[in-house]
Amino acid sequence: MRLALSVFKDCISTVFDAADQFLIVETDGTNNYRRISEKFLATDPTGRAAQLKNQSVDVLICGAISRPMQFAIISQGITVHSFIRGEVNHIIEAYQNNQLGGTAFLLPGCRRRARGNGFGKERGVRCRWR
Amino acid sequence: MIGEDQNIILDSIADGVFTVDNDWRITSFNNAAEKITGVTRAEAIGQLCKDVLKADICEKNCCLRATMKTGEQIINKKVNIINAEGHKLPISISTALLRDKKGKLLGAVETFRDISIEENLRKVIAQKYNFADIISKNHKMLRLFDIMPDIADSGSSVLIEGESGTGKELIARAIHHLSSRKKAPFIAVNCSALPDTLLESELFGYKAGAFTDAKKDKPGRFKLAENGTLFLDEIGEITTAMQVKLLRVLQEKTYEPLGATESLQHNVRMIAATNRKLEEMVKEGRFREDLFYRINVFKISLPPLRERMEDVPLLTDHFIDRFNTLQKKNIEGVSEEAMSVLMAYSYPGNIRELANIIERAFVLCKAGIIEKKHLPDFLSARQSHDINHKAESLRDAARVHLSNILKQNNWNCPQTARQLGIHKSTLYRKIKSLGIKIPG
Repeated sequence: MRLALSVFKDCISTVFDAADQFLIVETDGTNNYRRISEKFLATDPTGRAAQLKNQSVDVLICGAISRPMQFAIISQGITVHSFIRGEVNHIIEAYQNNQLGGTAFLLPGCRRRARGNGFGKERGVRCRWR
Repeated sequence: MIGEDQNIILDSIADGVFTVDNDWRITSFNNAAEKITGVTRAEAIGQLCKDVLKADICEKNCCLRATMKTGEQIINKKVNIINAEGHKLPISISTALLRDKKGKLLGAVETFRDISIEENLRKVIAQKYNFADIISKNHKMLRLFDIMPDIADSGSSVLIEGESGTGKELIARAIHHLSSRKKAPFIAVNCSALPDTLLESELFGYKAGAFTDAKKDKPGRFKLAENGTLFLDEIGEITTAMQVKLLRVLQEKTYEPLGATESLQHNVRMIAATNRKLEEMVKEGRFREDLFYRINVFKISLPPLRERMEDVPLLTDHFIDRFNTLQKKNIEGVSEEAMSVLMAYSYPGNIRELANIIERAFVLCKAGIIEKKHLPDFLSARQSHDINHKAESLRDAARVHLSNILKQNNWNCPQTARQLGIHKSTLYRKIKSLGIKIPG
């Protein structure tokens, strides 16, 4: 399972569309995981979505994201947890513990959207560290 | 820091205004700022300004930071923000320092204005569309977007097939603006609008004296599109004689204006479009096979709107934004009942027809929300004929939409699942949860 987080310094980048870097966190199903830092090669939705797909990313955690960008990434079969903020380590821990929906991790004004895949995903769906 | 009186003043301003303290935390946030960002004052106060504004410059080129560092104002800098609904909005921001009476630095103030209206108008006038302007979350369209940049880069001829009103010219323009030819002209010609003789002079131009009234040279569309893109719409309508001429132009990369004695070289990329099935026309002998293969290097098939009904709400929002801009109105959206009517229609005229329906509703709806009564009667008549119950909620609308697609596919579930781009087990689950009964 590969989790990608768009990052700026040690935090989730506020705007995914403008982010330069992302961090891939890979787990083998146990508590062991390794981190790989990557740069985005494209700024357009299809280019970014393709890069994440090529990196075999299963889940993306990011800050504010525009709709076309989110549609493009979801269309690649990647689950998107959008409008998230906070320090990367806290976010990874929250994701592992299914606590990403907590208000502390959501950007102001975005409670309705930050529920994994953003559009129409039902409340209560749990994110799991497979 | 900001008292009640100041808040009243700030709220009366049409531009968004917020102030921050020395730690970049928001200390005041006016009504216009709430409206533009989609974040309420209560949610914004005390938060880091970057988390509230969500601008593309926040992390690397923050204007407030620059002002705090240099003390200099920044005026009308264009940036993009993402509002709470996920819409990317262009805004113009200005910043200044905030000091108390003794000159002590209290923080900074930022004012911003939504300039999406100006940007949209500029786009409509310039017709410089890119893929971000093609609105869809349909899986076929998204797959198309994946390969579009490669097609644009290739420089090869492209054939766009799709029913009338599916956006063939928009795709052609987007390909042009993504390609290396984007600085050269994009010239569009509708082949079905002109008889053969006129089409020939229109495409290749003519020399003075070529025929009566040809008093001076006239450049053809090939000449006008030099180094750019020539878009030949309705190419399936041209005669066999014209097909031969066009084939030669594509093969030899030369053409002869009417009345000219010498051939001219051209460097034009051709994008052709048709609402017919050219392959079938080739089999029937109505379209030359060699020309077909010349223009069919890349084929793009645009699905009709009835096969991408999930795009209807998105496109409706888009047209409402556009007509609000063009007609200076403030229509907020469509009611659920009206949306269920829109979702139940099959759109033989595709996206153009949906645009016309919304434009018509704008005439009847003065303000607020577009209701069912603002939509043409034939939509409701068709809906009551097609379905047995009225959709009163989003769930009903989904049931109506799914029933209609199942009906179109003769209740064939695997085929319906393929059309919707979902797994058939997902479809069965939806059918069960929405309570749809499959006949037989």
